[in-house]
Amino acid sequence: MAAPILRVRNLTVIYPGVRPVKALDNVSLDVYPGEFVVVAGVSGSGKSTLLRAINRLAENDHARIEGEIYFDGLDVLRASRRQLREIRSQIGFIFQEYNVVERLSVLTNTLVGSLAHVGFWPSLVGKFPSYQIERAHQALERVGIPQPRHFDRAARLSGGQKQRVGIARSLLQRPKLILADEPVASLDPITANVVMNIFKKINEEEGITTIVNLHDPVLTFKYGRRIIGLKHGRIIYDKPITAINRETFEEDIYGTVEE
Amino acid sequence: MALWRSRDTAYRVSTAGVWLRRLGVGSGLALLAALYGWALQGVEFDLFSIFKYGGKFFELLGRMYPPDFSALPQLVRPLLQTLQMATLGTFFGALMALPLVVFGSQLVVRTTLIYWPVRALMNVLRTIPDLLYAVLFVAAMGFGPAAGVGALSFFACAIIAKLTSESADNINPKPIEAVEAVGAGKLHVIRYAVLPQLFPAFIDHVIYVFELNVRVSAVMGYVGAGGMGMQLTTAMEWRNYPQVLTIALLIFALVIVIDLVANRIRDALVHGIGLPGPLRLLGVGAVVALIVWSFVSLEVDFARLARGVEYFRNLVWAIVTDPATEYFSLAVQRMVQSVQIALIGTTISFVLSFPLGFLAARRHAGMPQSVAIGMKQIPNIIRAFPELILAIFFIATFGPGPLPGVLAIAIHSVGMLGKFNAEIVEKIRKEPVEALQATGASRLQVFRYAVLPQVLPEFLALFLYRFEINVRAASVLGIVGAGGIGSLINEAQSYRAWDIVGICLVVIIPTVMAIDFVSARIRRKLIEG
Repeated sequence: MAAPILRVRNLTVIYPGVRPVKALDNVSLDVYPGEFVVVAGVSGSGKSTLLRAINRLAENDHARIEGEIYFDGLDVLRASRRQLREIRSQIGFIFQEYNVVERLSVLTNTLVGSLAHVGFWPSLVGKFPSYQIERAHQALERVGIPQPRHFDRAARLSGGQKQRVGIARSLLQRPKLILADEPVASLDPITANVVMNIFKKINEEEGITTIVNLHDPVLTFKYGRRIIGLKHGRIIYDKPITAINRETFEEDIYGTVEE
Repeated sequence: MALWRSRDTAYRVSTAGVWLRRLGVGSGLALLAALYGWALQGVEFDLFSIFKYGGKFFELLGRMYPPDFSALPQLVRPLLQTLQMATLGTFFGALMALPLVVFGSQLVVRTTLIYWPVRALMNVLRTIPDLLYAVLFVAAMGFGPAAGVGALSFFACAIIAKLTSESADNINPKPIEAVEAVGAGKLHVIRYAVLPQLFPAFIDHVIYVFELNVRVSAVMGYVGAGGMGMQLTTAMEWRNYPQVLTIALLIFALVIVIDLVANRIRDALVHGIGLPGPLRLLGVGAVVALIVWSFVSLEVDFARLARGVEYFRNLVWAIVTDPATEYFSLAVQRMVQSVQIALIGTTISFVLSFPLGFLAARRHAGMPQSVAIGMKQIPNIIRAFPELILAIFFIATFGPGPLPGVLAIAIHSVGMLGKFNAEIVEKIRKEPVEALQATGASRLQVFRYAVLPQVLPEFLALFLYRFEINVRAASVLGIVGAGGIGSLINEAQSYRAWDIVGICLVVIIPTVMAIDFVSARIRRKLIEG
């Protein structure tokens, strides 16, 4: 087997405070190129923290990250600011709340994905290379946003469309890895399936390794090929979908509702 | 193949669009440059003299130091008078504003016949600057604090009515329907459905106007309306600089104390922050005592007040119906200069408060808490100095003319723009910031693409709002010698040529109204996008 694209060893994440919270407890996992992994678990199980630790966004919340994370052979936790930016530019990140800049156009929101490769001054005055603009148009068409809407303000889009822009933005990064943190939790079931299909297609056609956080068991079983179950910050499952017994899985992950 | 061609045409269309947009942006920028060139020339803006004579400003401050506290006993009475004038002005203003708000509300009055005239009256009252009210009331009632109370009442009434009726437009119409549905009359609707909903906003605005009134009251004496301003004028005329500083410091202290107390009262009454019952009663008692004490101590003579208001009405009627039309073109010319002063002053202030907004924002990434808290004090301190005092200092430095007016407005406006800019920055959504960080963008790129697009429209809207306020300020700063139409008012006042003051009113009111209207339109467009 090839070398893993992501290698996590003994990852522990603590949010300090009056009562510190241990969000992840000694988590280890390897993800190989081309895999489509679903991380399943209830809210508070540590799913978000896991993804946000991989590109160190969790530091925005003052989290203390311990252990080892290697992305494509690069040591993420010991990377300098510059190296971290280089690493981040190769990892597409999809947010639950889409995180588009509402006042910018759909096209500019997509072009944001190429910022790491655009010169400093041109990017400050808003001038992007024409081939990046062409790529942005293509990425948007690809996720199902037709050309006439590319110059609209992002504020005018629906939730599902904003998430498509989020995906197009990450495509522009030419990512080696896509991390999607509850990408469909704010969407209706039909739109959720449409968006999940986009992830699936990107994974199958371009072989981009994808890790998706989901709390919904139906979607988890429909799209996941390997499933990692998280509970109280620990991995309790890490198996291919075929090896999982659906009945016991739901009870293990989500627990039973007490009557 | 067909697909590619269609995309190609679409691309070409969009490039044509891009060129058109570039043309639009280009001509817009050229227009803006021309506007500023014209305004800079109009206010005789001259960096050279700012640098050359700027040192004199500090020399002036040097001559003021140390402040002369020996005059303190004589200054206590005018200081208290300032507070009393502000109190009574706010009190009467609030009383006068209530009917305007109720009858100017579309929810209460459904006949446009009443609604529109009341709104129009409110708008006209709102356009007249504070000091102009003072000039008119001094003309009607003679020198002294009574004129100050009259002027402050109208000034307060105008703002309270405007702000509260904006709140009234946003109250919940459902309780009104409910009270109507039980068959209640109009007065019952007002009493049980409108006023209870309006009360917190109304009190909030009254307190805000009280803070404003203290600042205005402190300088109104410059045109003869009683209070501390009279002492300031005398000290300035005698070049008794140490005493000028003493007076300025006293005003500063009064404003700071009033702001602190007002904030406490606001917390208790508007935000309902828990106060034990007895303490609440004590607070209400204190406010009542303040009003009664102001009444007694200012020896308000109701007959004289009524006569004064009567005179005032006649005066306004006379000068509006028979203004000195031969001065019309001169008045317009000076008004244009006032607008230029406001534009340049507000712009300089915008430039100064832009970085302040980020430095003073508590949540902005990378700013140490202590720095932000320190930076927050800058606008607070600046706001406590009335514009007019700054203008007087700058006139002593640069001599009379529009430049001191520009500088006074530029500095004073930082007080508001810096404070609100920081609040805007604190309110931004942090999700887009994270999205940018996640793509590996640099700090400046994050700022340019995630922070700036969120704050800039709001900054600009705030700039325009401050510009509206500053047009009013710039049209009266001339009364102390800082250029614009105020200088004409000043000359007219000293010759008691009220018809010339009349023509100034005729010019100021529509100009301010037009600017307010256009600016409000642009602001709405900016915020709603």
